[in-house]
Amino acid sequence: MPPSMGRQEAEAVAHSGSAELYDCFVRLAQAIFAAPIAALNLIGNDSQFTVASIGFPKGEIPVEDSVCHVTVLKDQVLEVHDLREDARFAEIPAVTGPPRVRFYAGVPVRGQSGQNIGVLCILDLAPRTLGRQEREMLADLGALLEHELSVQEEMDLAGKVQQLMLPTAAPDIAGIEIAGRVQPAREAGGDYYDWFVVDDPDGAGKRLEVVLGDVMGKGLAASLIASEVRAVLRGHSRYTDIGDAIARTATTTRHDLEANDRFSTLWVGRLDPATGALDYVDAGHGLAIIASQRGYRRLYQDYLPIGMPIEDPWTRASDVLAEDELLIVVSDGVFDVLDDSFDQVEARLHAILDPGLSCTQIVDRIVSFSVSHAATDDVTALVLRRVTGAAAHATPTSSTT
Amino acid sequence: MELGEVDKGTHVVFAPEGKFNMVAAPQLKERIDDLVAAGKSRVLVDLHRVDFIDSSGLGALVGGIKVTRKQGGDLRVAAAGDQVRAVLKLTNLDRILAPYPTVEDALHDW
Repeated sequence: MPPSMGRQEAEAVAHSGSAELYDCFVRLAQAIFAAPIAALNLIGNDSQFTVASIGFPKGEIPVEDSVCHVTVLKDQVLEVHDLREDARFAEIPAVTGPPRVRFYAGVPVRGQSGQNIGVLCILDLAPRTLGRQEREMLADLGALLEHELSVQEEMDLAGKVQQLMLPTAAPDIAGIEIAGRVQPAREAGGDYYDWFVVDDPDGAGKRLEVVLGDVMGKGLAASLIASEVRAVLRGHSRYTDIGDAIARTATTTRHDLEANDRFSTLWVGRLDPATGALDYVDAGHGLAIIASQRGYRRLYQDYLPIGMPIEDPWTRASDVLAEDELLIVVSDGVFDVLDDSFDQVEARLHAILDPGLSCTQIVDRIVSFSVSHAATDDVTALVLRRVTGAAAHATPTSSTT
Repeated sequence: MELGEVDKGTHVVFAPEGKFNMVAAPQLKERIDDLVAAGKSRVLVDLHRVDFIDSSGLGALVGGIKVTRKQGGDLRVAAAGDQVRAVLKLTNLDRILAPYPTVEDALHDW
């Protein structure tokens, strides 16, 4: 079939991995119509993708072997009393061979593009006829599914936008290996990390700024606020030191945080890769450490998050990152699975301090560990270390499921 | 979630139970907003039956502080368990939301 917007969209939805959300619709359809088979079929360029089904295998078949590729071109329910008696369908494999279906009724489902992308259908092994009320019910079910699909597509898109805002390239500064990853609890979330190169306001040269922010709450609403905090902090960071940048960010975002009953923790560091000199400000985040085989130390301050009833001075503190040390910043989604305890952090550190591990591998280990221990919150990790010579590199990975 | 709301005249006590998260938090915040609008701005949240709080729960408490203080009242928390105290400490929110050991302590001057 020639590609169309609807078919492109069907391919994208079929491969998005969120299709199991629609199982409840096929279960409903099966129960309402007492049919042995119910399915949601998406019609792509060359294939029909059965993404949710009962009584029929999920998967992919050639589009011309399907009934739904005809329904998808229509605007209303297509009902076929007996497929064997219909020249369009009498020869397709599901009619001539197992499960030898006879009856078909399907309702086309529209996607974001405005074109139909698939069909919710019921099949029976004996010929039958739907009553007027039954046809209406099938149409209603299709409309409900259409709404669910559009909500899910919006959420997936929002998650993608948020993911694309994460840094993807190595920072343009020598002497650093860095990696970060966010695993939101939903499609989008309130966690983010960031890194970028700034000119030191004292004229001392280039510095790498790294950020881990956590806006209270989860989901799309938290992600909107996180995008704002990220953008505002980026803007202010270009012109001033990190303490001042956080204070200005708090002032600039105050209305929006207050109006939405949100606050955001922030951990911001600014590193000179050549010397390891590290300035940092901890705005209620508390989850940054410098670790090595020799042990670990926390980089924390007593300041409040931004968006609180009082504004703190957020004055920067200083440390030095030695060449054999890692800077590790995580979100509370990680800390939660460690029982909110630094004793647990210490007990787990050995698993990531193997010098043979890259920053990307360390970040992956932290995130995988948290997810496999049933983290319910967004999970984020940012890891960096100094490397000798100009061979700076980064392999950021970020993913949503 | 059952918020366990009791109006004591000079103040209102909430005693939520279980997980104080994004399900329960907006309910509590909404109730506090209603109370403040009705002129009751002294709120005590008794946390002894809360075994887990997340950032949404913290957000509701902070929101409650803001709205009650604007009306000359306050929001206080009492009898917080280990997890709740750990999270308050981690985020430094114990600076503005210091948990009182007991409900009686929290009510000493109300």
